[in-house]
Parts: sequence; structure tokens; C-alpha cells
Amino acid sequence: MADSDTELIKRAQAQDLDAFCALAERYARRIHLLASHYCQNTQDAEDLSQEVWLKAYQAVQTFRFDSSFYTWLRRITINTFLNHRRSNFFRWRGQSTVVQLLPIDLDDSGELVGSSSASPENIYNKLLFENVVNALAELTASQRLAFLLRHYEGMSYDEIANAMNCSTGTAKKGVWRAIAKLRARLSPDSHEPEPLIDLASEY
Amino acid sequence: MHNCTETKERLIELVLDGRPVEAAETSELNACAECRTEFDALNMTLRMTSRLSETATPAESYWSGYHERLREKLATAPNPSHAEKQSRKEKLGPLFETMRLCVRTQIRVPLPLALAVVIACLALGVFAVRRTETPVAPSPLLVHVPVQVPVVQEKVVTRVVYRDRRSSLRNSRRAINDDAQTESTFAKSRKPSTDEIPASLNGFKPTDEIKLTVIKGGSPYEK
Repeated sequence: MADSDTELIKRAQAQDLDAFCALAERYARRIHLLASHYCQNTQDAEDLSQEVWLKAYQAVQTFRFDSSFYTWLRRITINTFLNHRRSNFFRWRGQSTVVQLLPIDLDDSGELVGSSSASPENIYNKLLFENVVNALAELTASQRLAFLLRHYEGMSYDEIANAMNCSTGTAKKGVWRAIAKLRARLSPDSHEPEPLIDLASEY
Repeated sequence: MHNCTETKERLIELVLDGRPVEAAETSELNACAECRTEFDALNMTLRMTSRLSETATPAESYWSGYHERLREKLATAPNPSHAEKQSRKEKLGPLFETMRLCVRTQIRVPLPLALAVVIACLALGVFAVRRTETPVAPSPLLVHVPVQVPVVQEKVVTRVVYRDRRSSLRNSRRAINDDAQTESTFAKSRKPSTDEIPASLNGFKPTDEIKLTVIKGGSPYEK
């Protein structure tokens, strides 16, 4: 029977590395997903997510069970993202269209995962992935983070504002501008993005 | 009344929340082609970004290597308690060092000097307490009020009165009575007589100040 989070956290607080690694295995995918959406580079995503775990390990004794472990961990994740944004940690791709697909579609032996790479579904996925990653790359770091927290994490604007240390209006504005840009970039009728962009610019 | 701007605001939240579209919203979208297009575009955009999560998720084999690397990093990292102590030490280090120095340092002090210092401290303490207990008189409230003070302008009137000594007592009385009258004695005295040289106003310059001098018992020609 798997140990509960509380049990693992208490053991981690008693400097049990195995318990902390067990916790990491439970939440690593969610943190890694946020990191990969945020920095759009597989290697940076791994570095960033592992730094989050390193910080969490060093601060686990300060966890007081006031919230869920993931809420606490997400706070560390956001702070790590924001700090790295300030320190220009990322090998920032900016507006470039360089997308590293290999680590995702290949396993450790270099073999393709799943179906053949020439299958229509795989090609479509690659194109879609490239398109969305490029669209996300066009957002500012704060817009991207606000969008990720709202869309992928389902956080409210108040929670985003609290986590990003800004006002609710700023958080809302960031999300709306991000959506306006993504819609302009990704939607089929992207030649008419003005109404939504105008709407976002009002905030 | 349909308002496209308000509807688009609601559409963003509707698509982000991922809740099903209600009947009222459906009818509103059906009534406005622009809003319907916007809604479809937003739906498509967010669906594509959602699929990114599925596409970007690394394969299962990736995670074993990931956790191995993470374990290595955690094993080489300073342990939590040590890291916490280290961070506290960095933050409050100088303060604690000073306090520790004060506590640990032993200085040999002669007993009379120590007693003198203690007594001086006590005296200073008592003085400070008594000083704080002394009621402080409220400072007078100073109010500046402009006051107008009347200034009396004095005017000196000088009048020369000549009196003839040789005139009789009756004449002197008359002169005194005439003094009370409105016509000035000076003017009367300056009335030309048959035995006097008529006065001339040539070179006379009126002055602002008139000095009244009463000379008794003399005449203009008396020395």
C-alpha cells in the first residue's frame, strides 16, 4: 500500500531521501509539464523542474501542512520560474522557431515511441506541437506564466495574482492578452484577431 | 440588448473554465455571427494548447532517467536541516555573532569599579523615572492676531502774541478776552497802526509747523 503524502512528507522532514524521491515521483510530471510549457526547451524544462525539487527538498522542513503539498510545491515552482526569468537563466529561444522534438518522441535507446514517425497522426502532432510552442514563445514570460496557471492549473485570477505578486487586474490582463495573441496565431481565421486584442488592451 | 464586447469577455471565461454552454448563451451566440466566430476560434485555440500537454509529455522511459538524475542532485545537495541552518545563518549571521560575542566574552572588572558603575546606573535610572513622572507644564498657546493701534499725529502750532506793557490794565484785559475769540491775537497785534511800518508778506513762506509762543510782558521792540 502506497504511503500517503503526509506520511512521506513527515519522513522527508526527517531527512529521508527515499521518501522525498517518492514524493517527487508523484508530482514530477505536473511540475515538468509546467516547466516545459514555460521555457519551451526540454533541457531547460528538466533543469528548471529539478531545481524546483531541489528547493523543495531544502525547504521541506518549513512545510506546516496548512495546504496541500502540491499547492506548496506549485508556489515554489512559480517563484523559481519568476526568479529564473529575472536572472535570464534560460537559453531563451525568443521568437525563433527552433523546437526540440527528439527528446519527446524518442526513448533512451533512440527508438521512436509509439507509431511510425511518418504516420499522419504523428506528423500532425509534430506540426501542432511546433505551432503551439512557437505561439507560446511569442508571449512575454509573465503572460505565459499567467496563462499556464489559469489554463493548465485552473487557478483563479486572485490565486494567480497572489502567486505572481501582482494585482488581480494585472493577472487578468496577462491571461487575456496571452489568449488574444494565441488566438491570433493559432486560429484558422487569424487574419481577424483585432476584436479580441482590442478587448484585452482595455485591461 | 446584445453587446459584442461584453459577450466576448464572457466567452473567454467560458472557454477557460471549460464549462458547457448554457441555453441562453447558445441563443446569444446563434444570434450574433461575430460572437459565434470568436467563440469557435477561442475554443479551437485552447483545444490546441490543451493538446500540447498530451504531445509534450515525455515517454515513460524518460522518467526513470529523470528521477535518477534528480536523486543524484538531491544526494549531493546539503540536507534540509543544514540548508535551513545555513540560510538562517546567512540572514541573521552578523547579529547573532555580535550577540554571541557579548555573551561569551569575559572581562575582569575590579569590584569597586563594578559597584560604582551599578550605582551610577541605578541613579541614572531613578533620575530618568522621576523626570518622566514630573508633569510637564503645557506650553502656552501662541496666537498671532493683528491689532490696529491708533497713532496720534501731533501738530505743533506756534503763535506769537505781543503784548504792550505800556497799555493800561483795561487794554490788557481786553487782549486776554480777545485771545479767546476766534480771531487770532497775532493777527490783531499785526494790525497796522499809524505809528508802525506796514508789514509786508514778501518772502513769507507758510510752514507746516506753527509754534505758539506766548511772550508776556514785552513788546516787539523791547530789548
